Amino acid sequence: MKITKILIANRGEIAIRIMKTATKLKIKTVAVRTAAEPNAMYLSFADEIFDYSEESTEIPVFLDIEKLIEIALTTGADAIHPGYGFLAENAYFADKCLDNKISFIGPSPDAIYKMGNKTIARKIALAHNIPVAMGSEGNISNEEEAIAVAEKIGYPVIIKAASGGGGRGMRIVRKSEEMEKLFVIASKEAEKAFKDPSVFIEKYIENPKHIEFQILGDKKGNVIHLGERECSIQRKHQKLLEEAPSGALDDRLREIMGSTAVRIAKAVGYYSAGTVEFLLDSEKNFYFMEMNTRIQVEHPVTEVITGIDLIEQQIRIAKGEELKIRQEDIKLSGWAIECRINAEDVQAGFAPDPGKIDKLSLPSGPNIRIDTGVQAGSSIVPNYDSMIAKLIVSGKNRKEAIKNCKMALDKVWIKGTKTTLPFFRMLVRNQKFQDGDFTTAFIEKDLEKYYYNSEYEEMLAAWLATKLFVEENLQETSIQIDFENGKELSPWLLNKRINQF
Amino acid sequence: MNNLQIKKLYALSSEKRKFRFALPLRNKIRIGKRDYVVSLRSDEKYGTYIFWKNRKYPVEIVRSRQNKYEILFNDISYIFTVETPFSLQRMKVLNSKKGRAENESVKAPMPGKLIDICVREGSEILRGQPLVILEAMKMQNEIQSPVNGTVIKVLARPNSNVMKDDILVEIKVH
Repeated sequence: MKITKILIANRGEIAIRIMKTATKLKIKTVAVRTAAEPNAMYLSFADEIFDYSEESTEIPVFLDIEKLIEIALTTGADAIHPGYGFLAENAYFADKCLDNKISFIGPSPDAIYKMGNKTIARKIALAHNIPVAMGSEGNISNEEEAIAVAEKIGYPVIIKAASGGGGRGMRIVRKSEEMEKLFVIASKEAEKAFKDPSVFIEKYIENPKHIEFQILGDKKGNVIHLGERECSIQRKHQKLLEEAPSGALDDRLREIMGSTAVRIAKAVGYYSAGTVEFLLDSEKNFYFMEMNTRIQVEHPVTEVITGIDLIEQQIRIAKGEELKIRQEDIKLSGWAIECRINAEDVQAGFAPDPGKIDKLSLPSGPNIRIDTGVQAGSSIVPNYDSMIAKLIVSGKNRKEAIKNCKMALDKVWIKGTKTTLPFFRMLVRNQKFQDGDFTTAFIEKDLEKYYYNSEYEEMLAAWLATKLFVEENLQETSIQIDFENGKELSPWLLNKRINQF
Repeated sequence: MNNLQIKKLYALSSEKRKFRFALPLRNKIRIGKRDYVVSLRSDEKYGTYIFWKNRKYPVEIVRSRQNKYEILFNDISYIFTVETPFSLQRMKVLNSKKGRAENESVKAPMPGKLIDICVREGSEILRGQPLVILEAMKMQNEIQSPVNGTVIKVLARPNSNVMKDDILVEIKVH
């Protein structure tokens, strides 16, 4: 099957990431301009822009299956790349593409469906002797049933959305009194997010590490793994920092978990790039959690240590090419860390802090890769996720990667919104993090403070407050005069004040 | 205000740390035996920043009201009240009279939609108990009570949209 033009059914950094590889492969790209971000940076990377910014729509176009198919047909795109989020794991969408003779750059609708439904995925894993945590046979329909299952397998348990992902519709229950409330919340959240209220229950593995394996499979049935990613640094099941490889695995465990990941992928006839997620407990027992049937946000760390362009592989596989890489060709070299720099207020429990990015300056260098979809002047809009940039830093080994990361973090300059930078600045200085001694509970349990400030920063801020007070109250000159330049009150200050009304 | 009588100012942080600055305010801060120059600058590339010990730190004045300033310094917010020696003295006297019982206003930490209200007026609540469920950026967030107390007012309405810092619930602290 030929691919000559790809419709990017996504936005932001991942749209740019896909378009860069497509351009490298001499494939044309189409991006969609939306009303929410009519001047977004990703548009400038496309060969062609489909303007959808005049339409007022209830749902984002990236979730509108009929419209996306129509755009592909109108623009003559013979393939669609869904990126991550939105329709990336929607089996119906993948099926619709195929119906219209459009290549869906991802796995088969059947694989998406089976892995997307967590209760089905669980059954497949059990049928193939792949370890899963104890849990309910299938979906749970009410609180009473939930309590009965939980009593059988023992608290704590975790309620998960059957069609879930990304932490939504997920709740940990520690005692039966909490079940009623949390069951309803999880189920409502699942319905809202996935249009499917069904949930199931699993034994909650205390303090595990989140280890996931990158998979590549072709349409001929060849499946390989590209090693693991360590994604235990997460908050409310949202990943913040990922690294590859993981310090918790040795070659033997990597081989066992990797081949298990390949086995489950083969069980559903998987092709394209995919990720098999495991929980690893303190005794190094691992449990299959779920498979993500798409490219992931954290894919760059794997690309850095394997030298393989995963988007390129996805496109080649979609064209029907056979995998040229064999398992024995995969060599992991060096260490890579990704920090998700989001517009979030670390001091307010990582609450999203959307707004305009006034100034942006990102570091570059041989050990640094930046994947971003914003530039100075861009806005982080509440309609979409809060990502500003992914900072991917590498080194010969973990210690060096952390050291390089620490330096790179100090070179990131963002003004306009609060960001997760202070969190990462703290993390790279944390002894337990440096020692690799952390689990998914790290942020909630092991951290007293979510941000780092050097010794004198608060004092300097106090000096600035005092300076402003002096200028506003104690000086006879007009308060309209700016600090030392003698200019009028600077626009950034005025803007901030105006925005409060 | 008569500036001739004031010899120094205090910046009090919200965590009750006190920083003293002599007047007239100098562009130098003494650390140990050395003075370091601190300057507030602004340019096209970086916006406004403080330059200190050869390094730039991004700064923003998030809000200022009377003597209260919220400063964003290197991505971290600090809230200070700037006091003169006299106002500091007066504040101490007032604080000692006021005692501890106060009302706590729980505000929306982010813009979003209220999915559920978990308390009503008169509810006795404990610290950490969910007050409302706020949906923002694809996630449902439990807004929990920061204190033990009694709910005296519920301003939040189910299925309504709220802005950041809108008051949701007022609690009389026990």
